[in-house]
Amino acid sequence: MSWTWFHKLGSPKWFFHWSKSLALPLFGFGCICLLFGLVWGVAFAPEDYQQGNSFRIIYIHVPAAILAQSCYLALGLSGLVFLVWQMKIAPIFIKAVAPVGAVMALMALVSGAIWGKPTWGTWWVWDARLTSVLVLFLLYMGIIALQNSLNDVTLANKAVAVISVVGLINLPIIKYSVEWWNTLHQGATFTLTEKPAMPAEMWVPLLISTIGLYCLVAGLALWRMQTEILIREHRSNWVKQEVMKDGL
Amino acid sequence: MTYLSFIKTEFLVLWRRKQDVFNALLFFIIVVVLFPLGVNPSSDFLAPAADGIIWCATVLAILMAIEGMFKEDYTDGSLEQLVISGLSLSLLMLLKTTAQWLAVLLPLLLMMPLLAEMLYLPDGSFWVLIVTLVIGTPSLFLIGSIGAALTVSLKQGAMLVMLLMLPFYLPVIIFATSAVRAAQLGLPYLGLLAMLLAVFLLSLVIAPFMTAIAIKASTN
Repeated sequence: MSWTWFHKLGSPKWFFHWSKSLALPLFGFGCICLLFGLVWGVAFAPEDYQQGNSFRIIYIHVPAAILAQSCYLALGLSGLVFLVWQMKIAPIFIKAVAPVGAVMALMALVSGAIWGKPTWGTWWVWDARLTSVLVLFLLYMGIIALQNSLNDVTLANKAVAVISVVGLINLPIIKYSVEWWNTLHQGATFTLTEKPAMPAEMWVPLLISTIGLYCLVAGLALWRMQTEILIREHRSNWVKQEVMKDGL
Repeated sequence: MTYLSFIKTEFLVLWRRKQDVFNALLFFIIVVVLFPLGVNPSSDFLAPAADGIIWCATVLAILMAIEGMFKEDYTDGSLEQLVISGLSLSLLMLLKTTAQWLAVLLPLLLMMPLLAEMLYLPDGSFWVLIVTLVIGTPSLFLIGSIGAALTVSLKQGAMLVMLLMLPFYLPVIIFATSAVRAAQLGLPYLGLLAMLLAVFLLSLVIAPFMTAIAIKASTN
């Protein structure tokens, strides 16, 4: 297997040009998918026999929660990539994705609270999953705060990579410790190994909106990374050419 | 410089700067005192909450103590000397963390019988609380040393260390207080202690290396 693609990722210039044509289609496709999934889920999917119409918030809650976790996984892995291979793109990715992940975690929390009111009768319970998403949100905030308070770029890169990796190692421990501590939440909606318990008319729109949100976030991340690359490489010639290409 | 001389210096510095350790301990006492005053002084409330109060106060006190762990060494340049000393930086960090841990934990344990009495901690669970403190606090120090190392170059790092480190402290708090609670209810608690020990071993394997990376990045 050739590793050239992996080594190419080390070059911000190559990454910038490669991702330039990718961000908009990904973002657009994601928006369309998400909208499609949401409209299908909210307007056309059958009612839940127990929770009635209130379950429909699942079409925003579950994708947001999945994305919040996936973003952190990506963050931790790229932190590892940076610590091992010193790849220049990795800290740029972390900086670009951390706020997006934080927003996803916040969305999951808020939509969960809104969903909790009619089903559990309360906005918030100290349940394992809610608490672990709250912790995830705090982890994101910590990363963002660290990134913002360190002015030295090389130090900020290292520091954020270290904390992401430590977070990645710790996240399963936090999750399981909280799970043993208190559980009220329903089980996972999607698992890779089992068939979903809900009928297809319900989970297909959910799947579509999840895929849509994934693409949307990926497009957003690429855009944010491009901006960050331009800022960090503003002294290099190719950036000057890139910016001057369309005139000032 | 050898490892032995390093750890000797560490203890000497800690001894000569007693006030730093005292501050952390005083902070611990203040937090403990706030609960009966602020919430409820009756034994009905305090007895079941005692272990939780003691653990929360411990975590806060350790976060206080750990934030300044590398500050002095950073400003006077001894951290740079450690980096170029040719000794293993991870091992040095581990020794430093151990010294800090002992300096805070030993006086804390000495105060524990008194505080347990003041908070009406049920007799049977006292020794379990002591055991959770002994095997739980090393993880707090090890994980916290990463945060202290990451923020060493900042003037106002205390709040940031709290924000960064508190999520990582959750498992320790949960396992420790669950163990004490299980002991109070007469349930088996050895499994929870084992989990606490596992978290300690995991942080022992990871934290010194991460701290060393962060120190190297900060001193450049």
